[in-house]
Amino acid sequence: MTTPQAEIEDLIARIAMGDRAAFRLLYDRTAAKLFGVCLRVLDDRALAEEALQDVYCKIWARAGQYRVNGFSPMTWLITLARNAAVDRRRRRDAGTGRVTDPIDAADLIADPAPGPAQHAEARGEAQALASCMAELPPERAEMVRRAYLDGDTYAELATATGVKLNTVRTWLRRSLMQLRECLSR
Amino acid sequence: MSGPEETDLPGGWEAATAEYVLGLLSEEETAAFEARLAQDRDLRQDVEAWEEYFATLTDPIAEVAPPPQVLRRAEAELFGRRSQPAWRQLLPYLLGAVTAAAIAWAVSFSGLLDTRDAPHLYADLETPSRGLVMLAHYAPDSGTFMVRRDAGDYPEDRSLEIWLIADEDSAPMSLGLVDREGLTEIPVPRAIARQIPGAAVAISEEPEGGSPTGQPTGPVLALGQMAPRG
Repeated sequence: MTTPQAEIEDLIARIAMGDRAAFRLLYDRTAAKLFGVCLRVLDDRALAEEALQDVYCKIWARAGQYRVNGFSPMTWLITLARNAAVDRRRRRDAGTGRVTDPIDAADLIADPAPGPAQHAEARGEAQALASCMAELPPERAEMVRRAYLDGDTYAELATATGVKLNTVRTWLRRSLMQLRECLSR
Repeated sequence: MSGPEETDLPGGWEAATAEYVLGLLSEEETAAFEARLAQDRDLRQDVEAWEEYFATLTDPIAEVAPPPQVLRRAEAELFGRRSQPAWRQLLPYLLGAVTAAAIAWAVSFSGLLDTRDAPHLYADLETPSRGLVMLAHYAPDSGTFMVRRDAGDYPEDRSLEIWLIADEDSAPMSLGLVDREGLTEIPVPRAIARQIPGAAVAISEEPEGGSPTGQPTGPVLALGQMAPRG
């Protein structure tokens, strides 16, 4: 039986050899997920469509560099989508002084990371990250989430927390080390 | 080179790896990080592990079906026009003015392809930057394709080649070279003549004697559409 993971790996391998039918199949299988990611980052339909187009052009160009590494091939695709969307978001917001919502610890308690119960099929990594994020102070976890899902820069995180940039960076790096330590347990 | 490990920030390369995946490193730091990444297999595995963990943050994000034009545009960018020379990208606009099919229909209707009554077809071929003004003219009664050079100089040691492009999806077909002097007259076989109404005509500059490849290799100097004159 072919798992969805093996199927996507197979499609990427065929795309690497220039198989256009495989490209279309991969698009059918994955575009809705990746479009959701682009929309989440950009919150703008037209820009998300442009980012998604970028993503699939990159998939075509880079399929040959993809190597099976034991991780989910969806991670490769999601990373391309997230990065393409963040690039576009930063270009859009460059110089416009985008207003970032303040990070307020009091608001964050009500916004827990999705627990295993909410995602019966959640990957092991999802559960591990969620429980390790939960060990961080809520505003630090929110900074990590913002950096990934909104593409916030250190400057934006500094504005959002009202703390100096270097302080924010020190905090975040400590939090990342803490996460790493927790994840490797 | 100032790598992230040379700062007094906590975490060294390990923290920098997560920052890299989050896109938080400065341009300079990113370059330093990637230089090391290219040679360090363990570092690559760390990057992949962070990517795997952070990607799970997208698990709760709902799928949204993108509109169909995204795939169309991606495929056009990858397989369509991008691999073609710039002048080909003008064809849809050129041929879109009056569709080739409409002209072919009008021509065949007027004469039912009876060469006696079929209208003559013309295309203006001009290169303002070189002052080149040419007129392409197809006379169906004699089955002759003609090019008349009204202004501008013939490039030295080069040839001007005439191409017929039946429609957007067709490869250019060489009709021959523009003569250095006087009126160029080229007899056209019936099979090709049928494709002339509404087709595009291009003039490219080629090595002396014409394109060595059978397809335009030099700059396309002029592009026009063969249509009846009102």
